[in-house]
Amino acid sequence: MSGQTFVWKGKDVPFRSGESIAAALEAAGVFSFGTDTFGQDFRYFCGIGACQGCLVRVDGLLREACLTVARPGMRVGSPEDGHD
Amino acid sequence: MTDAEITVIGAGPSGMVAATTLSKVGYHVEIIEQRETLGGAIYRQPVESAMAGGPAAGSNARWKTIRNAFVKQAIPVRCGTVFLGIDGDGLVLIEDRRKGRVERLRRKGVVVAVGAVEKVYPRTGWHLPGVSTAGGLQVMMKETGRAPEGRVLLAGNGPLLIAVAAQMARLGNPPAALVEAGDPFGHMATGVALLKHPALLQEALLYLMDVYRSRIPWLRGAHVTSIEKEGPALLVRIERKGLEKRMSVDRIGLHDGIRCNDFGLPPETLSSKDAPVVVRAGDCREALGAIAAEADGARAAQRLANILSGSAEASGLDAAINRTRQAQDLLARLFAPIGNVSPLAICSDETILCRCEAKTVGDLRSLCQHLHPMTGREVKLNGRFAMGACQGRFCADNTASLMALMNADSADLPPRAEDLTGRRWPVRPVSIAALTAAANPNTEKPNNEVEQDDAS
Ligand code: FES
Repeated sequence: MSGQTFVWKGKDVPFRSGESIAAALEAAGVFSFGTDTFGQDFRYFCGIGACQGCLVRVDGLLREACLTVARPGMRVGSPEDGHD
Repeated sequence: MTDAEITVIGAGPSGMVAATTLSKVGYHVEIIEQRETLGGAIYRQPVESAMAGGPAAGSNARWKTIRNAFVKQAIPVRCGTVFLGIDGDGLVLIEDRRKGRVERLRRKGVVVAVGAVEKVYPRTGWHLPGVSTAGGLQVMMKETGRAPEGRVLLAGNGPLLIAVAAQMARLGNPPAALVEAGDPFGHMATGVALLKHPALLQEALLYLMDVYRSRIPWLRGAHVTSIEKEGPALLVRIERKGLEKRMSVDRIGLHDGIRCNDFGLPPETLSSKDAPVVVRAGDCREALGAIAAEADGARAAQRLANILSGSAEASGLDAAINRTRQAQDLLARLFAPIGNVSPLAICSDETILCRCEAKTVGDLRSLCQHLHPMTGREVKLNGRFAMGACQGRFCADNTASLMALMNADSADLPPRAEDLTGRRWPVRPVSIAALTAAANPNTEKPNNEVEQDDAS
Protein backbone atom coordinates (compact mmCIF):
# COMPACT_ATOMS: atom_id res chain seq x y z
CA MET A 1 0.00 0.00 0.00
CA SER A 2 1.36 3.44 -0.81
CA GLY A 3 0.39 6.94 0.19
CA GLN A 4 1.09 6.35 3.88
CA THR A 5 3.04 8.93 5.84
CA PHE A 6 4.33 9.63 9.30
CA VAL A 7 5.35 12.99 10.68
CA TRP A 8 9.06 13.75 11.01
CA LYS A 9 9.57 17.10 12.78
CA GLY A 10 6.32 18.47 11.39
CA LYS A 11 6.82 17.19 7.85
CA ASP A 12 5.12 14.22 6.23
CA VAL A 13 7.49 11.38 5.29
CA PRO A 14 6.12 8.62 3.03
CA PHE A 15 6.84 4.96 3.74
CA ARG A 16 5.90 1.50 2.47
CA SER A 17 4.12 -1.03 4.67
CA GLY A 18 6.56 -2.82 6.93
CA GLU A 19 9.37 -0.35 6.41
CA SER A 20 11.44 0.83 9.39
CA ILE A 21 11.57 4.49 10.34
CA ALA A 22 15.28 4.44 9.43
CA ALA A 23 14.53 3.18 5.90
CA ALA A 24 11.86 5.82 5.34
CA LEU A 25 14.08 8.62 6.64
CA GLU A 26 16.94 7.45 4.44
CA ALA A 27 14.66 7.52 1.41
CA ALA A 28 13.67 11.05 2.41
CA GLY A 29 17.34 12.05 2.56
CA VAL A 30 17.42 12.46 6.37
CA PHE A 31 20.73 11.15 7.75
CA SER A 32 21.05 13.00 11.04
CA PHE A 33 18.28 12.25 13.52
CA GLY A 34 19.35 14.90 16.03
CA THR A 35 22.25 15.47 18.40
CA ASP A 36 23.18 14.04 21.78
CA THR A 37 24.45 16.02 24.79
CA PHE A 38 27.99 15.86 23.36
CA GLY A 39 26.86 17.40 20.07
CA GLN A 40 27.28 14.17 18.12
CA ASP A 41 24.60 13.12 15.68
CA PHE A 42 22.15 10.31 16.19
CA ARG A 43 22.33 8.36 12.93
CA TYR A 44 21.77 4.96 11.39
CA PHE A 45 24.83 2.78 11.97
CA CYS A 46 24.51 -0.95 12.71
CA GLY A 47 20.96 -1.64 11.47
CA ILE A 48 20.38 -4.37 14.07
CA GLY A 49 19.50 -2.59 17.30
CA ALA A 50 23.00 -2.95 18.75
CA CYS A 51 24.61 0.51 18.62
CA GLN A 52 21.75 2.63 20.02
CA GLY A 53 23.00 5.39 17.74
CA CYS A 54 19.79 5.72 15.75
CA LEU A 55 17.48 6.72 18.60
CA VAL A 56 14.48 8.86 17.72
CA ARG A 57 11.44 9.88 19.71
CA VAL A 58 8.32 8.07 18.52
CA ASP A 59 5.09 9.42 19.98
CA GLY A 60 7.08 10.48 23.02
CA LEU A 61 9.09 7.27 23.49
CA LEU A 62 12.75 6.72 22.64
CA ARG A 63 13.05 4.01 20.02
CA GLU A 64 15.69 2.66 17.65
CA ALA A 65 14.79 3.92 14.16
CA CYS A 66 16.28 0.76 12.63
CA LEU A 67 13.99 -1.56 14.62
CA THR A 68 10.77 0.41 14.70
CA VAL A 69 8.29 -0.13 11.91
CA ALA A 70 6.74 3.05 10.56
CA ARG A 71 2.98 3.46 11.09
CA PRO A 72 0.65 6.02 9.58
CA GLY A 73 0.43 9.22 11.57
CA MET A 74 3.27 8.43 13.97
CA ARG A 75 4.97 11.53 15.32
CA VAL A 76 8.72 11.10 15.05
CA GLY A 77 11.37 13.56 16.15
CA SER A 78 14.87 13.89 17.57
CA PRO A 79 15.54 12.38 20.99
CA GLU A 80 16.14 15.87 22.37
CA ASP A 81 12.76 17.12 21.12
CA GLY A 82 11.15 15.79 24.28
CA HIS A 83 7.56 14.74 24.58
CA ASP A 84 5.16 16.47 22.28
CA MET B 1 -0.66 -15.14 29.37
CA THR B 2 1.59 -17.77 27.90
CA ASP B 3 2.60 -20.88 29.81
CA ALA B 4 5.77 -21.52 27.83
CA GLU B 5 8.47 -23.60 29.53
CA ILE B 6 11.25 -22.28 27.35
CA THR B 7 11.86 -18.84 25.86
CA VAL B 8 14.08 -18.51 22.82
CA ILE B 9 15.54 -15.03 22.38
CA GLY B 10 16.08 -13.98 18.79
CA ALA B 11 14.34 -15.26 15.67
CA GLY B 12 17.34 -15.59 13.37
CA PRO B 13 18.34 -19.00 11.98
CA SER B 14 19.79 -20.39 15.23
CA GLY B 15 16.86 -19.27 17.38
CA MET B 16 14.26 -20.55 14.93
CA VAL B 17 15.96 -23.93 14.54
CA ALA B 18 16.38 -24.21 18.33
CA ALA B 19 12.70 -23.41 18.89
CA THR B 20 11.62 -25.88 16.21
CA THR B 21 13.82 -28.63 17.66
CA LEU B 22 12.56 -28.09 21.21
CA SER B 23 8.95 -27.97 20.10
CA LYS B 24 9.34 -31.23 18.18
CA VAL B 25 10.47 -33.06 21.32
CA GLY B 26 7.44 -31.78 23.17
CA TYR B 27 8.45 -28.61 25.01
CA HIS B 28 6.19 -25.56 25.13
CA VAL B 29 8.42 -22.97 23.50
CA GLU B 30 7.92 -19.31 22.69
CA ILE B 31 10.26 -17.08 20.74
CA ILE B 32 10.79 -13.36 21.21
CA GLU B 33 12.15 -11.09 18.50
CA GLN B 34 13.06 -7.39 18.64
CA ARG B 35 11.86 -6.69 15.10
CA GLU B 36 8.42 -7.22 13.57
CA THR B 37 9.65 -9.96 11.24
CA LEU B 38 11.41 -13.31 11.52
CA GLY B 39 14.72 -14.24 9.94
CA GLY B 40 17.33 -12.21 11.80
CA ALA B 41 19.82 -9.96 10.03
CA ILE B 42 20.86 -12.65 7.58
CA TYR B 43 17.33 -13.40 6.36
CA ARG B 44 15.92 -9.89 6.80
CA GLN B 45 12.63 -9.92 4.95
CA PRO B 46 11.86 -7.32 2.30
CA VAL B 47 8.94 -4.98 2.89
CA GLU B 48 5.89 -5.42 0.67
CA SER B 49 6.55 -4.26 -2.88
CA ALA B 50 10.33 -4.52 -2.50
CA MET B 51 11.22 -7.74 -4.25
CA ALA B 52 14.03 -6.66 -6.55
CA GLY B 53 17.49 -7.83 -5.59
CA GLY B 54 16.16 -10.45 -3.21
CA PRO B 55 18.45 -12.97 -1.59
CA ALA B 56 20.58 -15.38 -3.61
CA ALA B 57 18.80 -18.61 -4.56
CA GLY B 58 20.79 -20.84 -2.18
CA SER B 59 20.16 -18.68 0.85
CA ASN B 60 16.52 -18.28 -0.11
CA ALA B 61 16.09 -22.07 -0.13
CA ARG B 62 17.74 -22.36 3.30
CA TRP B 63 15.41 -19.70 4.68
CA LYS B 64 12.32 -21.42 3.30
CA THR B 65 13.35 -24.71 4.92
CA ILE B 66 13.92 -23.03 8.30
CA ARG B 67 10.68 -21.06 8.11
CA ASN B 68 8.48 -23.94 6.97
CA ALA B 69 9.72 -26.25 9.72
CA PHE B 70 9.19 -23.46 12.24
CA VAL B 71 5.69 -22.59 11.03
CA LYS B 72 4.66 -26.26 11.18
CA GLN B 73 5.28 -26.32 14.95
CA ALA B 74 2.94 -23.34 15.49
CA ILE B 75 5.36 -21.77 17.97
CA PRO B 76 4.09 -18.54 19.56
CA VAL B 77 6.11 -15.55 18.37
CA ARG B 78 6.31 -12.26 20.22
CA CYS B 79 7.64 -9.57 17.92
CA GLY B 80 8.67 -6.09 18.99
CA THR B 81 10.00 -7.60 22.20
CA VAL B 82 13.51 -7.16 23.57
CA PHE B 83 15.36 -9.24 26.14
CA LEU B 84 16.62 -7.31 29.16
CA GLY B 85 18.25 -9.99 31.28
CA ILE B 86 17.67 -12.55 34.02
CA ASP B 87 17.12 -11.04 37.44
CA GLY B 88 18.31 -12.19 40.85
CA ASP B 89 15.21 -14.35 41.27
CA GLY B 90 15.96 -16.24 38.06
CA LEU B 91 13.10 -14.52 36.21
CA VAL B 92 13.49 -13.65 32.57
CA LEU B 93 12.92 -9.94 31.93
CA ILE B 94 11.57 -8.85 28.59
CA GLU B 95 10.18 -5.56 27.34
CA ASP B 96 7.14 -6.04 25.15
CA ARG B 97 7.14 -2.80 23.22
CA ARG B 98 3.81 -3.51 21.55
CA LYS B 99 2.15 -3.60 24.93
CA GLY B 100 4.54 -1.02 26.32
CA ARG B 101 5.57 -2.99 29.37
CA VAL B 102 8.26 -5.07 31.00
CA GLU B 103 7.38 -8.64 31.95
CA ARG B 104 9.08 -11.12 34.26
CA LEU B 105 8.76 -14.72 33.15
CA ARG B 106 9.45 -17.92 35.08
CA ARG B 107 11.02 -20.40 32.68
CA LYS B 108 12.72 -23.78 32.84
CA GLY B 109 15.03 -22.94 30.02
CA VAL B 110 16.26 -20.03 27.91
CA VAL B 111 18.02 -20.18 24.56
CA VAL B 112 19.90 -16.98 23.88
CA ALA B 113 20.33 -16.52 20.13
CA VAL B 114 21.03 -12.83 19.65
CA GLY B 115 23.55 -13.15 16.82
CA ALA B 116 26.67 -11.19 16.00
CA VAL B 117 27.75 -7.59 15.76
CA GLU B 118 30.21 -6.15 13.28
CA LYS B 119 33.65 -5.06 14.32
CA VAL B 120 34.50 -1.55 13.22
CA TYR B 121 37.89 -0.01 13.92
CA PRO B 122 37.84 3.68 14.77
CA ARG B 123 38.98 6.08 12.09
CA THR B 124 38.66 9.84 12.46
CA GLY B 125 35.06 10.67 11.58
CA TRP B 126 33.69 7.10 11.65
CA HIS B 127 30.75 8.27 13.77
CA LEU B 128 29.44 10.89 11.31
CA PRO B 129 25.97 10.62 9.73
CA GLY B 130 26.23 8.89 6.36
CA VAL B 131 28.77 6.43 7.77
CA SER B 132 27.34 3.09 8.84
CA THR B 133 28.53 -0.47 9.06
CA ALA B 134 28.64 -2.33 5.75
CA GLY B 135 26.29 -4.88 7.28
CA GLY B 136 23.98 -1.97 8.13
CA LEU B 137 23.89 -1.07 4.43
CA GLN B 138 23.28 -4.73 3.62
CA VAL B 139 20.30 -5.26 5.92
CA MET B 140 18.82 -2.01 4.65
CA MET B 141 19.11 -3.29 1.06
CA LYS B 142 17.41 -6.53 2.06
CA GLU B 143 14.61 -4.62 3.73
CA THR B 144 13.98 -1.97 1.09
CA GLY B 145 15.15 -3.63 -2.13
CA ARG B 146 17.05 -0.41 -2.87
CA ALA B 147 20.77 0.26 -2.98
CA PRO B 148 22.04 3.18 -0.92
CA GLU B 149 22.01 6.28 -3.12
CA GLY B 150 24.86 8.45 -4.34
CA ARG B 151 28.55 7.65 -4.28
CA VAL B 152 29.17 4.93 -1.74
CA LEU B 153 32.51 3.74 -0.41
CA LEU B 154 32.93 0.35 1.26
CA ALA B 155 35.98 -0.04 3.45
CA GLY B 156 37.56 -2.32 6.02
CA ASN B 157 38.40 -5.97 5.92
CA GLY B 158 36.92 -9.28 4.91
CA PRO B 159 34.65 -11.03 2.42
CA LEU B 160 31.42 -9.33 3.55
CA LEU B 161 32.55 -6.13 1.79
CA ILE B 162 32.59 -7.99 -1.53
CA ALA B 163 29.15 -9.44 -0.90
CA VAL B 164 27.76 -5.96 -0.14
CA ALA B 165 29.46 -4.51 -3.24
CA ALA B 166 27.92 -7.24 -5.38
CA GLN B 167 24.46 -6.69 -3.91
CA MET B 168 24.73 -2.96 -4.54
CA ALA B 169 25.78 -3.61 -8.13
CA ARG B 170 22.77 -5.89 -8.64
CA LEU B 171 20.47 -3.23 -7.29
CA GLY B 172 21.88 -0.71 -9.76
CA ASN B 173 24.36 1.37 -7.74
CA PRO B 174 27.78 -0.27 -7.48
CA PRO B 175 30.05 1.32 -4.85
CA ALA B 176 32.54 3.97 -5.97
CA ALA B 177 35.34 1.84 -4.52
CA LEU B 178 36.07 -1.05 -2.21
CA VAL B 179 38.95 -0.46 0.22
CA GLU B 180 40.32 -3.73 1.63
CA ALA B 181 43.03 -4.02 4.29
CA GLY B 182 44.06 -7.47 3.10
CA ASP B 183 45.07 -8.83 -0.27
CA PRO B 184 43.42 -12.20 -0.95
CA PHE B 185 45.36 -12.52 -4.23
CA GLY B 186 48.55 -12.57 -2.21
CA HIS B 187 47.63 -15.91 -0.61
CA MET B 188 47.10 -18.26 -3.52
CA ALA B 189 47.85 -21.43 -1.54
CA THR B 190 45.15 -20.52 0.98
CA GLY B 191 42.80 -19.75 -1.89
CA VAL B 192 43.36 -23.22 -3.30
CA ALA B 193 42.46 -24.74 0.08
CA LEU B 194 39.01 -23.16 -0.36
CA LEU B 195 38.35 -25.83 -2.99
CA LYS B 196 37.43 -28.04 -0.05
CA HIS B 197 34.48 -25.73 0.56
CA PRO B 198 32.84 -25.62 -2.87
CA ALA B 199 29.64 -23.87 -1.80
CA LEU B 200 31.57 -21.05 -0.17
CA LEU B 201 33.96 -20.77 -3.11
CA GLN B 202 31.13 -20.63 -5.59
CA GLU B 203 29.39 -17.89 -3.65
CA ALA B 204 32.64 -15.91 -3.39
CA LEU B 205 33.31 -16.23 -7.12
CA LEU B 206 29.81 -15.08 -8.01
CA TYR B 207 30.27 -11.97 -5.89
CA LEU B 208 33.72 -11.33 -7.33
CA MET B 209 32.34 -11.60 -10.85
CA ASP B 210 29.75 -8.93 -10.03
CA VAL B 211 32.50 -6.71 -8.65
CA TYR B 212 34.57 -7.09 -11.82
CA ARG B 213 31.64 -6.76 -14.19
CA SER B 214 30.67 -3.47 -12.57
CA ARG B 215 34.31 -2.29 -12.70
CA ILE B 216 34.35 -1.48 -9.01
CA PRO B 217 37.88 -0.38 -8.06
CA TRP B 218 39.12 -2.87 -5.45
CA LEU B 219 41.94 -1.22 -3.51
CA ARG B 220 43.70 -4.01 -1.64
CA GLY B 221 46.22 -3.47 1.14
CA ALA B 222 44.56 -0.09 1.76
CA HIS B 223 42.96 1.69 4.74
CA VAL B 224 40.59 4.56 5.29
CA THR B 225 42.52 6.85 7.64
CA SER B 226 39.98 9.63 8.09
CA ILE B 227 36.52 10.86 7.16
CA GLU B 228 35.52 14.54 7.25
CA LYS B 229 32.39 16.46 6.46
CA GLU B 230 32.76 18.41 3.25
CA GLY B 231 29.53 20.29 2.65
CA PRO B 232 26.84 17.67 2.18
CA ALA B 233 29.48 15.07 1.23
CA LEU B 234 32.15 13.11 3.07
CA LEU B 235 35.84 13.52 2.28
CA VAL B 236 37.71 10.27 2.77
CA ARG B 237 41.46 9.81 2.98
CA ILE B 238 42.73 6.41 1.93
CA GLU B 239 46.25 5.22 2.58
CA ARG B 240 47.84 2.61 0.33
CA LYS B 241 51.52 1.75 0.16
CA GLY B 242 52.43 5.03 1.83
CA LEU B 243 50.43 7.10 -0.68
CA GLU B 244 47.31 9.08 0.15
CA LYS B 245 44.28 9.09 -2.07
CA ARG B 246 41.24 11.29 -1.44
CA MET B 247 37.69 10.63 -2.44
CA SER B 248 34.49 12.55 -2.00
CA VAL B 249 31.50 10.30 -1.35
CA ASP B 250 27.95 10.44 0.04
CA ARG B 251 27.86 7.24 2.09
CA ILE B 252 30.43 4.95 3.66
CA GLY B 253 30.03 1.35 4.83
CA LEU B 254 32.71 0.18 7.28
CA HIS B 255 33.32 -3.43 8.31
CA ASP B 256 36.30 -5.11 9.98
CA GLY B 257 34.82 -8.54 10.71
CA ILE B 258 32.18 -9.88 13.05
CA ARG B 259 32.14 -10.96 16.68
CA CYS B 260 29.67 -12.51 19.12
CA ASN B 261 26.99 -10.16 20.37
CA ASP B 262 27.56 -11.46 23.89
CA PHE B 263 27.50 -8.11 25.69
CA GLY B 264 25.64 -8.14 28.98
CA LEU B 265 24.25 -11.63 28.36
CA PRO B 266 23.63 -13.97 31.28
CA PRO B 267 26.23 -16.74 31.48
CA GLU B 268 25.29 -20.23 30.35
CA THR B 269 23.99 -22.26 33.30
CA LEU B 270 24.11 -25.88 32.42
CA SER B 271 22.81 -27.80 35.39
CA SER B 272 19.27 -28.98 35.92
CA LYS B 273 19.49 -27.39 39.38
CA ASP B 274 19.68 -23.97 37.73
CA ALA B 275 16.43 -22.27 37.00
CA PRO B 276 16.37 -21.30 34.28
CA VAL B 277 18.94 -23.36 32.38
CA VAL B 278 20.54 -20.93 29.94
CA VAL B 279 22.23 -21.99 26.71
CA ARG B 280 23.59 -19.85 23.89
CA ALA B 281 23.12 -20.67 20.24
CA GLY B 282 24.52 -19.44 16.95
CA ASP B 283 26.64 -16.36 16.38
CA CYS B 284 26.33 -15.08 19.97
CA ARG B 285 28.12 -18.27 21.09
CA GLU B 286 30.65 -18.34 18.27
CA ALA B 287 30.43 -16.03 15.27
CA LEU B 288 30.52 -18.47 12.36
CA GLY B 289 27.68 -17.26 10.15
CA ALA B 290 24.26 -18.46 9.06
CA ILE B 291 24.95 -22.06 8.07
CA ALA B 292 26.74 -22.93 11.31
CA ALA B 293 24.05 -21.01 13.22
CA GLU B 294 21.40 -23.49 12.06
CA ALA B 295 23.48 -26.46 13.20
CA ASP B 296 24.27 -24.70 16.45
CA GLY B 297 20.62 -23.94 17.10
CA ALA B 298 19.85 -27.66 16.87
CA ARG B 299 22.84 -28.49 19.07
CA ALA B 300 21.85 -25.95 21.74
CA ALA B 301 18.25 -27.21 21.73
CA GLN B 302 19.41 -30.81 22.13
CA ARG B 303 21.68 -29.81 24.96
CA LEU B 304 18.93 -27.92 26.77
CA ALA B 305 16.48 -30.81 26.30
CA ASN B 306 19.05 -33.26 27.66
CA ILE B 307 19.70 -31.16 30.74
CA LEU B 308 16.01 -30.64 31.43
CA SER B 309 15.22 -34.32 31.01
CA GLY B 310 18.27 -35.41 33.00
CA SER B 311 19.76 -37.50 30.21
CA ALA B 312 23.47 -37.65 29.36
CA GLU B 313 24.91 -34.55 27.81
CA ALA B 314 25.14 -34.49 24.01
CA SER B 315 28.62 -34.92 22.63
CA GLY B 316 30.22 -31.62 21.72
CA LEU B 317 29.66 -29.68 18.54
CA ASP B 318 28.70 -31.37 15.37
CA ALA B 319 30.56 -31.71 12.10
CA ALA B 320 28.80 -28.86 10.29
CA ILE B 321 30.02 -26.40 12.89
CA ASN B 322 33.61 -27.66 12.68
CA ARG B 323 33.55 -27.44 8.91
CA THR B 324 32.39 -23.83 8.96
CA ARG B 325 35.03 -23.04 11.53
CA GLN B 326 37.70 -24.37 9.15
CA ALA B 327 36.25 -22.35 6.30
CA GLN B 328 36.20 -19.19 8.43
CA ASP B 329 39.84 -19.76 9.42
CA LEU B 330 40.78 -20.04 5.75
CA LEU B 331 38.93 -16.82 4.92
CA ALA B 332 40.62 -15.03 7.81
CA ARG B 333 44.04 -16.07 6.47
CA LEU B 334 43.07 -15.13 2.93
CA PHE B 335 42.01 -11.66 4.04
CA ALA B 336 44.78 -11.13 6.61
CA PRO B 337 45.50 -7.37 6.67
CA ILE B 338 48.68 -6.33 4.86
CA GLY B 339 51.43 -4.85 7.04
CA ASN B 340 51.73 -5.32 10.75
CA VAL B 341 50.69 -1.91 12.05
CA SER B 342 47.49 -2.09 14.06
CA PRO B 343 44.82 0.22 12.61
CA LEU B 344 44.38 1.42 16.20
CA ALA B 345 47.99 2.55 16.44
CA ILE B 346 47.56 5.11 13.67
CA CYS B 347 44.42 6.82 15.03
CA SER B 348 44.77 10.52 15.79
CA ASP B 349 44.09 11.66 19.35
CA GLU B 350 40.84 13.32 18.23
CA THR B 351 39.42 10.04 16.93
CA ILE B 352 36.28 9.01 18.79
CA LEU B 353 36.80 5.63 20.41
CA CYS B 354 33.61 5.32 22.47
CA ARG B 355 30.85 7.11 20.60
CA CYS B 356 28.13 6.87 23.22
CA GLU B 357 30.24 8.80 25.74
CA ALA B 358 32.21 10.84 23.16
CA LYS B 359 35.52 9.53 24.47
CA THR B 360 38.56 9.87 22.23
CA VAL B 361 41.85 8.10 21.68
CA GLY B 362 43.49 11.08 23.41
CA ASP B 363 41.24 10.66 26.46
CA LEU B 364 42.37 7.05 26.75
CA ARG B 365 46.00 8.08 26.29
CA SER B 366 45.84 10.48 29.22
CA LEU B 367 44.22 7.80 31.40
CA CYS B 368 46.95 5.36 30.44
CA GLN B 369 49.70 7.83 31.29
CA HIS B 370 49.12 7.27 34.99
CA LEU B 371 52.08 5.77 36.78
CA HIS B 372 50.35 2.45 37.21
CA PRO B 373 48.62 1.15 34.13
CA MET B 374 44.89 1.09 34.68
CA THR B 375 42.79 -2.02 34.46
CA GLY B 376 39.92 -2.26 32.00
CA ARG B 377 37.49 -1.73 34.86
CA GLU B 378 39.27 1.44 36.01
CA VAL B 379 39.26 2.83 32.49
CA LYS B 380 35.54 2.22 32.35
CA LEU B 381 34.71 3.68 35.76
CA ASN B 382 37.15 6.62 35.66
CA GLY B 383 37.06 7.30 31.97
CA ARG B 384 33.47 6.30 31.09
CA PHE B 385 34.68 4.13 28.23
CA ALA B 386 32.12 1.44 27.32
CA MET B 387 29.65 2.96 29.81
CA GLY B 388 27.13 4.15 27.25
CA ALA B 389 23.97 2.87 25.67
CA CYS B 390 25.66 0.42 23.28
CA GLN B 391 27.26 -1.23 26.33
CA GLY B 392 30.63 -1.39 24.64
CA ARG B 393 29.43 -3.34 21.62
CA PHE B 394 31.38 -1.08 19.29
CA CYS B 395 34.18 0.21 21.54
CA ALA B 396 35.13 -2.37 24.17
CA ASP B 397 37.35 -4.44 21.87
CA ASN B 398 38.99 -1.37 20.40
CA THR B 399 39.54 0.25 23.80
CA ALA B 400 41.02 -2.95 25.24
CA SER B 401 43.35 -3.42 22.26
CA LEU B 402 44.45 0.19 22.30
CA MET B 403 45.12 0.00 26.06
CA ALA B 404 47.29 -3.03 25.40
CA LEU B 405 49.25 -1.02 22.80
CA MET B 406 49.58 2.00 25.07
CA ASN B 407 50.71 -0.14 28.00
CA ALA B 408 52.84 -2.42 25.84
CA ASP B 409 55.79 -2.35 28.26
CA SER B 410 53.67 -3.18 31.30
CA ALA B 411 54.08 -6.58 32.91
CA ASP B 412 50.35 -6.82 33.61
CA LEU B 413 48.09 -8.97 31.51
CA PRO B 414 46.56 -7.00 28.64
CA PRO B 415 42.95 -5.99 29.33
CA ARG B 416 40.11 -7.86 27.65
CA ALA B 417 36.90 -6.43 26.28
CA GLU B 418 35.01 -8.23 29.08
CA ASP B 419 37.01 -6.29 31.68
CA LEU B 420 35.43 -3.15 30.27
CA THR B 421 31.91 -4.36 29.71
CA GLY B 422 31.48 -6.59 32.72
CA ARG B 423 28.33 -8.67 32.95
CA ARG B 424 25.68 -6.03 33.20
CA TRP B 425 22.06 -6.20 32.53
CA PRO B 426 19.70 -4.83 31.30
CA VAL B 427 21.04 -5.81 27.92
CA ARG B 428 19.16 -2.77 26.59
CA PRO B 429 18.47 0.62 28.15
CA VAL B 430 15.13 0.56 29.96
CA SER B 431 13.62 2.95 32.47
CA ILE B 432 13.58 2.29 36.18
CA ALA B 433 9.84 3.07 36.11
CA ALA B 434 9.16 0.22 33.67
CA LEU B 435 11.26 -2.19 35.73
CA THR B 436 9.53 -1.19 38.95
CA ALA B 437 6.15 -1.60 37.30
CA ALA B 438 7.16 -5.14 36.28
CA ALA B 439 8.33 -5.97 39.79
CA ASN B 440 5.04 -4.71 41.31
CA PRO B 441 2.35 -5.57 38.80
CA ASN B 442 -0.29 -3.87 40.97
CA THR B 443 1.27 -0.46 40.54
CA GLU B 444 1.65 -0.78 36.81
CA LYS B 445 2.12 2.52 35.05
CA PRO B 446 -0.03 3.56 32.12
CA ASN B 447 1.63 2.84 28.79
CA ASN B 448 2.75 6.33 27.98
CA GLU B 449 4.90 6.56 31.06
CA VAL B 450 6.90 3.46 30.24
CA GLU B 451 9.94 4.68 28.51
CA GLN B 452 13.59 3.97 27.93
CA ASP B 453 16.17 6.09 29.66
CA ASP B 454 17.71 8.76 27.54
CA ALA B 455 20.83 7.42 25.95
CA SER B 456 22.78 10.54 26.71
S1 FES C 1 21.37 1.58 13.80
FE1 FES C 1 22.34 0.68 15.53
S2 FES C 1 20.65 0.50 16.90
FE2 FES C 1 19.72 1.24 15.10
